[in-house]
Amino acid sequence: MTHATDTHTALTAPRRRRFTASERQVSVIRHLVLMSFALVVLFPFFWIVSAAFKTQIDLLMGKVLFTPNLDGFLDVIFDKTSDFARNFANSMVIGLISTFLVLVIATLAAFSLYRLQWPAWVLHSLLGWSVIFHMVPPITLAGAWFTMFRSVGLDNSYTGIILAHTTLHLPMALWMMGVFVRDVPKELVEAAQIDGAKVPQILWHVVLPIVRPGLAATGILTFIFSWNEFPVVLVLSQRQTATVPLGIGKYAQENTIAFTEMAAASTLSILPAFLLLLFAQRFIVRGLTSGAVK
Amino acid sequence: MAHVRLNGLSKSYGKVDVIKDVSLDIEDGEFVVLIGPSGCGKSTLLRMIAGLESISAGTLEIGGAAMNDVPPRDRGISMVFQSYALYPHMSSADNMSFSLRLAGEEEAQRRSKVDRAADILGLGPYLDRLPRQLSGGQRQRVAMGRAIVRKPEVFLFDEPLSNLDAKLRVKMRAELKELHQKLRTTTIYVTHDQVEAMTLADRIVVLRDGEIEQIGTPLELYDNPANAFVGAFLGSPTMNLLELEVGAGEATLARFADGEALRLATPAAPGRTTVGIRPEAFTIASEAAAGRISAEVVVVEPTGAATELLVRKGGQAITVLTPERLAVRPGDTVWLTPDAQRTRVFAGGAADAA
Repeated sequence: MTHATDTHTALTAPRRRRFTASERQVSVIRHLVLMSFALVVLFPFFWIVSAAFKTQIDLLMGKVLFTPNLDGFLDVIFDKTSDFARNFANSMVIGLISTFLVLVIATLAAFSLYRLQWPAWVLHSLLGWSVIFHMVPPITLAGAWFTMFRSVGLDNSYTGIILAHTTLHLPMALWMMGVFVRDVPKELVEAAQIDGAKVPQILWHVVLPIVRPGLAATGILTFIFSWNEFPVVLVLSQRQTATVPLGIGKYAQENTIAFTEMAAASTLSILPAFLLLLFAQRFIVRGLTSGAVK
Repeated sequence: MAHVRLNGLSKSYGKVDVIKDVSLDIEDGEFVVLIGPSGCGKSTLLRMIAGLESISAGTLEIGGAAMNDVPPRDRGISMVFQSYALYPHMSSADNMSFSLRLAGEEEAQRRSKVDRAADILGLGPYLDRLPRQLSGGQRQRVAMGRAIVRKPEVFLFDEPLSNLDAKLRVKMRAELKELHQKLRTTTIYVTHDQVEAMTLADRIVVLRDGEIEQIGTPLELYDNPANAFVGAFLGSPTMNLLELEVGAGEATLARFADGEALRLATPAAPGRTTVGIRPEAFTIASEAAAGRISAEVVVVEPTGAATELLVRKGGQAITVLTPERLAVRPGDTVWLTPDAQRTRVFAGGAADAA
C-alpha cells in the first residue's frame, strides 16, 4: 500500500515542476488579457454605480474622490414626483407574465416540433420564420402594434405590452428550448410511450423535469430581455404602464439631465437580473441527463 | 401471456424497403431471438411490434388481437432498450413504478409490485438511487424491473446487453435466461451476438436485408444452416466455407485444388461448389492415412479449454477446433479427418455469406 502511494506521489510530483518558463509567460499573458476584458465589462458598471453615490456637482466636476451620499437613491425612490417605484412594479409584472407565457409556448412548441414527427417542411418553415422574425428590428413592429392595439383598446395597457414582449422574445426562447428538448433522448419518450404515458403525460412527467435547467436559463434570459426592452414600451405605454428603462430615460429632460438620479435608477434596475442570476445559477448547469442512457 | 403472429409484415421508408414480407409465429411463452448483421432490420422489426414504428403492410397480432393501429401502451408489451432509457430524474423505484402510476394504481400496491420485482432482480438496496448513481449492470436490472412490473404479455428486448462489459454480459445473460424460466413470458429479443442467440433462444430467427433467412432452434440452425450466410453467422469460430470441385461421376467427393478430397454427406452436382464444415468437425492426426487430408499449420491459438488451429489447404484457409492440446508449430504438416456427416453443400455459394 505504501509502495503504491509512493509511486503515486512520484508520478504526480514532478508534473508540478514541469511548467517551463515559456508556459508561465503564456499563462501570465492569458491572465492579463482576461483581466483587461473584465475591466472593459466592469468599468461602466463601476462608473454608473459610483455616479449614483455622487452629488450632481461632484459628478459634473469629474471628481474621482468624493464623499458618498444617498440623495440620488432617495430622490428616485421616495420623491413625490418620481414614478420609479411604479416603473419597477410595471417591469416586474410585464417581465414575469411575458416570461411565463414565452416559456409555456416555447416549450410546447419545441416538444411538438422536435418530438411529434412533423414533416420536415413544417419544422423548417416554422423555425426559419421565427429566425426572420427575430432579426426584424423591434422598432419596425412597434408602430404597427401601436395602431393595432389602439384600435382594439389595448394601447397603454399591460395586456398590450405583455403580448408585444411575448411575441418579441418567443423566437429566441423557441430556439433555446429546441436545443434542450432535442437533448432529451428519444428513447426516454419511447419508454414513456410504452409505459402508458399519453403525450401530455410524457411532456409533464418526463420531458419537463429533464429540461428544467433549460427552462431556467431560457426564463432568465427572456426576463432580462423584457426588463431591458426600450423601443416597444416607448411606443406602447404612457405614464401608468411605463417600465424601468422608460423611467430611467425620463431623467434626461429637455433642459436638464438629472445624472445622479439616472445613475441611481440604473443601479437599482440592475438588481433583479443580478439576483436572478445569483439564485438560478445552479439551475443553469447541464448534465442532469447523465445516467439516462448508455 | 400471449402468442405473437407476424403476417407478411413490411416496412418501407419512401422507396427503401427495410422489412420485406416477414411472417413469423411466436408461441405463448416462447423465447425468440432475432439476429442478423447491423442494418438487417431486426431492431426495426422489434420496434414495429412495439408500436414505435408504423407498419407499412401486413398484420401484427398479439394474443389474437390485431395490433397494427394500437398505440404502444395498449399492446400489452414491455420493452428494454439498448440504452436502458431510464428516467434520469426518478429513483429506481419510481422508474419501475412509473407505468403503474400512470395506470392509477394505489401507492401500497405499487410498492409491493416494485418490491417483488426488486426481489427477483436483487435491486433491494438500490431502490432509492437515481440512475446516474447506479453501475451499468444495475441500470440494466432497473430497466428489466421496469419491464417486469407491468406484467406484460410480451417482453421486447433491443440488444439489452450490448452496453455491458464482457464479464457482466455473460452474467446478465444467465440472469435473463433464469428470469424467463421463472416468468415464462413470451419474449422477443434482438441481438447481433450469436452467442447470446444460441444460449438464450428457444428459436432463432436469422434476418438479412429485411428478410428471414431461416427459423429454427439454435442447434437446428447450427447443424443444418439453410445457406452459407446462416452457417457463417452462427457459431464461433465461424464455419469453414470451402470452394471445392466435384467431379463427374463422384458426386460425394469434393476435391481441393491439390487433388485431395473431402467426403460429402449428400451428393452434389458436378462443378465448383461451396462446402460448409464446422471447425470442430475435424479430428487431427500427425501421420497420413486413408481418408485424411494434409494441411499446413499457419497459426496455433491455445485457449486452455481448446486449441484453435488455422491451417492452409490447397490455397484455402481452414479453421480447426480441437479439445486436445497440440504440440504443433506453424509450418508443420497435420492430417485432418473431416466428419463427412457434418459437411453441408451450399448451392447458393459462399458469395452471400456474412
